[in-house]
Amino acid sequence: MEVIDVIISGMINGSVYALMAVGLTLVYGVSKVFNFAYGSFYSLGGYLAFSILSFKIFGGYVTVLVLAVPALLLFGYVVERAIVAPLRRWSSWEVKVMMLTLGLALLMDNLFQITYGARVKSLPVIVEGSLTVGPVIVSWQDIAIFVLSVSGMFAFRWVLNNTWVGLAVQAVAQNPNGAQIVGIPRDKIFAATFAISTVMVGLGGILLSQKYFVSPNQGWDILVKAWVITAFGGMGSIRGSLYAAFIMGMLEAFVGWMFGLTWVQFALFGVLLATLAIRPQGLMGKWG
Amino acid sequence: MLKIEKLNAYYGEFHVLEDINMEVPRGQVVVLLGPNGHGKSTLLKSICGLVRSVKGNILYKGQNITGMSTSRLVSMGITYIAENRELFPFMTVQENLKLGAFSRAARPHLKENLDMVFTLFPRLAERKKQLASTMSGGEGRMLAIARGLMSNADLLAVDEPSLGLQPNLRLEVFRIIKEINKQGKTILVVEQNIPKIAEMADKIYVLEEGMITFEGDKEKVLSSEHMKEIFLGM
Repeated sequence: MEVIDVIISGMINGSVYALMAVGLTLVYGVSKVFNFAYGSFYSLGGYLAFSILSFKIFGGYVTVLVLAVPALLLFGYVVERAIVAPLRRWSSWEVKVMMLTLGLALLMDNLFQITYGARVKSLPVIVEGSLTVGPVIVSWQDIAIFVLSVSGMFAFRWVLNNTWVGLAVQAVAQNPNGAQIVGIPRDKIFAATFAISTVMVGLGGILLSQKYFVSPNQGWDILVKAWVITAFGGMGSIRGSLYAAFIMGMLEAFVGWMFGLTWVQFALFGVLLATLAIRPQGLMGKWG
Repeated sequence: MLKIEKLNAYYGEFHVLEDINMEVPRGQVVVLLGPNGHGKSTLLKSICGLVRSVKGNILYKGQNITGMSTSRLVSMGITYIAENRELFPFMTVQENLKLGAFSRAARPHLKENLDMVFTLFPRLAERKKQLASTMSGGEGRMLAIARGLMSNADLLAVDEPSLGLQPNLRLEVFRIIKEINKQGKTILVVEQNIPKIAEMADKIYVLEEGMITFEGDKEKVLSSEHMKEIFLGM
């Protein structure tokens, strides 16, 4: 029954990857921004959870979510307005954004190291125990991670389809000039999108850090994975990222199980290269 | 309603508009004519906050609106209707219209404006669920105008509504513009194709090489020798 464990593991990681990759592709689709600090935002989520939980306050992870989500939202908004937005005025600003977010990532990682030390920190599990169905054993923690990341996706979908902000985000992605004409404040939508993506990756950090600890430089691995998934799914395509995340989650689990973890990155890049050779736009290039 | 004083606009080094003075009285249809590439669109876009480097004064309902953002202007009641439509391709007709009512001023009137628009354009009511990208040129133009109306604007700045349309559709578009005007909207429309549009104009301006070279009512325009030379090739 080992196979089932592997599938479950792939599903759970895939669900969190989906949350994070969709956030990344959303920002690219709407504002053409490559955020190289995305991995460090993941770490930020993990460290926020660690700090909040270290106070041993009432509510545990519920309190973490209640405090971390608005904090991440605000952090993302401020970062966009302060360092991304001013660059838009310049020519080839996309490259400048990459350089600046890269710098931000290095700064954040070093701040984490100064504040929390270089050693890994562990987070307590959301819930103890496990569920046994016949021969299959799934920990409640894994179930909680899956439920929370899928809920995050649904919440995101709901915002996108049922609020004025969500509609405006789609409008800017589909036609920035048209959006400006109908009176959508594009700059604010860029910042709002960036803020939403920060919440998505930060939430990913909170969820996965319980399984894989928190450390100052862990973000790079996540950044690479999120980019691979986004490119594989098709830049700017939300549905593409969603499928790609689950495919990559499964691939990772199976390759790790059969050949060892060393081969996981090889496999991810191998699949990405093969896909891009055949379909340069990824699984589902373009919005949709 | 709209008054422009000594307006200058630039695209980089290019001085596109030079000392433009013009006036759009409330409830009228004012037509801005001129050859292609002489700054008509730039003038409309400057009014609507879509051109960055603008000098001079633009007064709307007595208030100086020069340099204000488009989103602010839309909520104040000025809406631009683009010559190339600028629709949201992967959204339905209805979603496009809903976004036309994005400004806070327009949101409470969403329902009534939707009804108004569907009465004016019955074709759009039939195609509510159709994606904008799958519409024909004429329907796309109608949708662009309809989306502009959803903003509850008092002043509509319409950029070459007849561009790329067959003659019978052009007449239909002009008829609708007149109809919208009768419902109380003030309209500033840019066109190249004069004889038809001139008939519904209360006032006509001519823009050549970035300057206003002529202004007057339609009789004056249609009888002017210079105008005939430029536009009718006579």
